[in-house]
Amino acid sequence: MTTRQRELPPEFVEALDHARARLGGLASDVRFFPSTGSTNDIAAALAAAGGHEGTVVVADEQTAGRGRRGRTWFSPPASGLYVSVVLVPARAKVTPDRAIGLLTLAAGVALAEAVEHATGLTTDIKWPNDLLIGRRKLAGILAEAVDRRPVPDTRERHGASASASGSPEPLRGTDVPSNSGGGGVPDASEMDGAPREIGNVILGYGINVGAMSYPPALAGRATSLETELGRPIDRALLFAETLASLASRYDDLLAGRFDAILDQWRERGPSSIGARVAWDTPSGRRSGVTAGIDERGALLVQAGGQVERIVSGEITWL
Amino acid sequence: MDLDHLRQILALVQEHELSEFEIEQDGLRLFVRKHGVAHHAPAAASLPAAVPAALLPPGGAVAPVAAASAVEAADTEIELAIVKSPIVGTFYRSPEPGAPAFVEVGSAVKKRQVLCIIEAMKLMNEIDSEYDGEVVNIYVESGQPVQYGERLFAIRAK
Repeated sequence: MTTRQRELPPEFVEALDHARARLGGLASDVRFFPSTGSTNDIAAALAAAGGHEGTVVVADEQTAGRGRRGRTWFSPPASGLYVSVVLVPARAKVTPDRAIGLLTLAAGVALAEAVEHATGLTTDIKWPNDLLIGRRKLAGILAEAVDRRPVPDTRERHGASASASGSPEPLRGTDVPSNSGGGGVPDASEMDGAPREIGNVILGYGINVGAMSYPPALAGRATSLETELGRPIDRALLFAETLASLASRYDDLLAGRFDAILDQWRERGPSSIGARVAWDTPSGRRSGVTAGIDERGALLVQAGGQVERIVSGEITWL
Repeated sequence: MDLDHLRQILALVQEHELSEFEIEQDGLRLFVRKHGVAHHAPAAASLPAAVPAALLPPGGAVAPVAAASAVEAADTEIELAIVKSPIVGTFYRSPEPGAPAFVEVGSAVKKRQVLCIIEAMKLMNEIDSEYDGEVVNIYVESGQPVQYGERLFAIRAK
């Protein structure tokens, strides 16, 4: 399989030119690949080689498109929008930790807004950032980063430190808060104040545009814009709209306008309230009812008389 | 720092009846404490005796030191470069389920080599090594939640 860069197709160039005033620092450098393994991998390689913030990689086809934890993102030719953008949320002016944590939610909001602007179609966001129509997935996001923050040395050296300085699970059971959610992990607010050295984040997204013959595993669980609307969709226009929306929400993030992002997310995320979810923990499967998201974007779940804050892990919507 | 070097240090600690000793060299920090002394402290006495073997990498090159110190009836504690979690999230040892782990105990690692992924807010954070060296311990199982500052790996730096 070849990964060869080509000139961006003229309709994409035109759409970007029309949107240029709304693109902020994004898309100053756009790389187009007729076929590639994964746009995230290309973007990561470009970033590592000194590529700058706002670099965009777009492919007509991905032969190894992937989602969270290596799941395949079905990316046949000319049927979807497969894009990766290099971002640096750590340069946010206000509480960069919070900005980094909210990046993926901001991206979900941006995609939902872009789809609406470009096609008129309203989509739901499922925490943290899948785009759904009904229960079918229309778009997904995969964000990857290299985290190089030094962690301050919190070691204790006296008395009890003997066992704390090296037993296989030194902190578990002692430092883990009682509301520890296991597979879904509760957040802690102590992250702020740590020196930040996180660099590039590769934000990849895929939107199903054309009707596709999905693999059996996806049938019934995926949908596309053209399937929903019954008419052809201009991929170039959608491409430019996603970047314009992303630029706008990224700007919110960098400027510390977190409430604007959270308000819009809540408006578009109905299943974050009152939906039954389950998640795995080291001590077994738990379930509860969603109770919104907090100011850091963590999913709140009412379970067994208390509220869990979930920031990661596998969550099943029942 | 090689094994002979470690033996010399332990011998010095013994000879001079030091209760604690710490040395840092080329990114490797070695911390030695004789528990014969620490046990007189109430805080330590209320705890079960630390088991040095648990601190040591299985089959790691430093294991003989434990044996040596046991013979000398002085519990020792050896500290290595510890990689800690910079965030709260879920720890993954491989890029995807079923794939080989990024590193195993005994793996030689290079500076900036990926050790694991920690997922937080669906951002997959690659955590890389700050040292050239060898992975001598992995403290967390794949798929487990980790807290800020929690130990992930011990690396014996070269």
